[in-house]
Amino acid sequence: MRLLIIILLGLALGGCSAGSGEGLDVSGRPLSEGGDVPLAATLASIQANVFNPSCIVCHSGASAPLGLRLDAASSFTALVGVSSSQDSSFQLVVPGNPDASYLIKKLEGTTAEGEQMPLGGPPVLPATIDFVRQWITDGAAPDSGGPANQPPVVVSLTPAPDSVSTDFPSQLAAGFDLDVDASSVNDLTFTLRRSGGDGQFNNGNDVVIAPAAVALSPTNARLAVMDLTGVAAVEDRYRITLSGSGANVILGVSGLTLDGEFVGGFPSGDGTQGGDFVAEFEVQGLQASLDSIQANIFTPSCAFSGCHSGPPGPNLPAGMDLTSADASFASLVGVASIQMPMTMRVANGNADGSYLIQKLEGTAAAGSRMPLGGPFLDQVTIDVIRAWIDSGAAR
Amino acid sequence: MKEIFAWKSISCALLCFFAINETAHAEPYLAVRQGLKCSTCHMAASGGGQRTTYGSAFAQTELPARTLDMGQLWTGDIGRYFAVGGDIRGGWNRLDVAGRTSISDTEFEEFLAYIQIKPLPNYLTLYVDAKLRPDDPEIREQYARLTLPNGRWSIQGGEFFLPYGLRIQDDEAFVRQVSGINFNTPDVGWQVNYEEGSWSGQLAVTRGTAGGPEIDSGKQYSLRISHVETRWRVGGSLNINDARIGDRQMQNLIAGLRTGPVVWLAEIDYIIDDGSPLGKRKSWASYIEANYNFRKGQNLRTSLEWFDPDNHVSEDEQTRLSIVWEYTPIQFLQARFGYRDYSGIPQNPAQNREQVFAELHVFF
Repeated sequence: MRLLIIILLGLALGGCSAGSGEGLDVSGRPLSEGGDVPLAATLASIQANVFNPSCIVCHSGASAPLGLRLDAASSFTALVGVSSSQDSSFQLVVPGNPDASYLIKKLEGTTAEGEQMPLGGPPVLPATIDFVRQWITDGAAPDSGGPANQPPVVVSLTPAPDSVSTDFPSQLAAGFDLDVDASSVNDLTFTLRRSGGDGQFNNGNDVVIAPAAVALSPTNARLAVMDLTGVAAVEDRYRITLSGSGANVILGVSGLTLDGEFVGGFPSGDGTQGGDFVAEFEVQGLQASLDSIQANIFTPSCAFSGCHSGPPGPNLPAGMDLTSADASFASLVGVASIQMPMTMRVANGNADGSYLIQKLEGTAAAGSRMPLGGPFLDQVTIDVIRAWIDSGAAR
Repeated sequence: MKEIFAWKSISCALLCFFAINETAHAEPYLAVRQGLKCSTCHMAASGGGQRTTYGSAFAQTELPARTLDMGQLWTGDIGRYFAVGGDIRGGWNRLDVAGRTSISDTEFEEFLAYIQIKPLPNYLTLYVDAKLRPDDPEIREQYARLTLPNGRWSIQGGEFFLPYGLRIQDDEAFVRQVSGINFNTPDVGWQVNYEEGSWSGQLAVTRGTAGGPEIDSGKQYSLRISHVETRWRVGGSLNINDARIGDRQMQNLIAGLRTGPVVWLAEIDYIIDDGSPLGKRKSWASYIEANYNFRKGQNLRTSLEWFDPDNHVSEDEQTRLSIVWEYTPIQFLQARFGYRDYSGIPQNPAQNREQVFAELHVFF
């Protein structure tokens, strides 16, 4: 038996050797598939020099970790403007802002969660990461060109569809999967209007917004930008339209019309050219409602991963789940404080007697003022929360 | 008085049991050495997770070179309805990559905490496996398990590590890294477990997003079956993931064998990716491990791995050789010293590296 084992081990050691790499590029693919690409601040180069050799051994195919696929056909749409599954307070790549991009944090090993990537492997060299940073700083453009027989589709929009914000955006940005004809991007094909205050469109009181400019990004042939400099910031519901039907349409460089139908998820389209892309967003000042407080205070200031981020339970801070309006209502209204069990976190109709207010104003008898470490909410903002509580703390 | 009696009974029973068995040290080879199923020592039916009462006692009496007399054994149980456990790992690591400056670092790797709540002991268990440090707290597993009165069948629902292949600690082993099923990728769904005599089986139906949110209607199916005998075991796994982006089918064979003081483990995986942007690819990964328990509390492990990323491409294979010495001086404490050699295509420096490491592991 031992002799058999030794023979088998010998065969295993002798037969399983590393490849010579002959005829292959740095990613281990045949040179006939394209070969090595010089390192540069472009997605094609980053794909060839970072993602292919270091990432796609795991991050590809049906079982890619966290569903994140970094093969050449997927990496742009999987990264740019997409929230991290590991920490939803970050986007994987924020065009123009490498420091805020989770991809950079993972490569540099500075995330609050998870391991530095590539997992277990040597870190990507800082000089190489600098090219990734530069690509993001330049706007995180996709590769140039694209198939000649496919219509362009919309793959991203900023602000996000159906988002609610207190701030009026300084610009709108729509991303496409293919290069777009610059002459087809103008104020007739990329439009914005607001509802006129009633939240409804096409009922006679819509207000058409006149932007400062509409154009294709000079550095990214797949990004249309509407400059809203000088436009009055009015609280209202807004509708963005990218035209794929009618006399004026957005065209791909192939001459095919935008495939724009949008039903809530990217990419747009129904598989054939034509069809408008229509999405809405809302600009809403802080109001004395839980939805508004959630969107403007709890989500950005409290529901960080590792803080009040759930799951609900008896242990602070995660157990006081403030990640959604429903979760906040369940965690706050009529629920006794763990730190001060005789005090309700939110006592209906009684802001002064609500522990939430005491924690925000720094008058609680236990623990630290919230948000922990600051910056603390100004009194005007806290007064809106007070008004919500005094009016009955309704869901 | 009753509690003290129970402690002594458990201790005596376990010590008597171990007295007629060979000593054994850690991880899947431990089960092979003892001829036991994975679930004997761990919460998960396919291995890993919180130690059972048996596993805890084993780790205190048979694993260490010397057992300090602490009066009674720690089983993790806090009363009848709760149980806790943990693993803390930290160490030093040096990485040498061809053509680059060596990298050395000392890190606090992880603090894992396990909690079981047993509203109906032996029948209904609520389980959480959380990584508390060094990063923000992160739940790795959270599920409820219902065991039928006959003890053969159980069903669990929630988030858990999938049953597939050998549940070895080393996530960077090719068979774990390439399959994508390791301690970094829990999934959400349901799992049915079956334990009968020498047979052990698990079938899981999950999202198939490796920890990510549900993005399509396709599901991932994982089946693992093993037959366990006193000196050997064989088994296999099948995993099918039907996803919008493409389909993956993985299958493997696993085996374990005890030859005198040496325990062998082996796994070979065949993975087919189809319909993804990379096109159809077929890859192979293999793992063979030998463990020599040369003295109580000390184990010498050697493993050899091989990975072929695409069987239609020649000369792209990678290998990995590991030599690890594990020393467990006393209960709850283990030190590991190791060397790994990675070899791959010469034009990719990251595939050609050497690693030396030392790790301290506190467990309870």
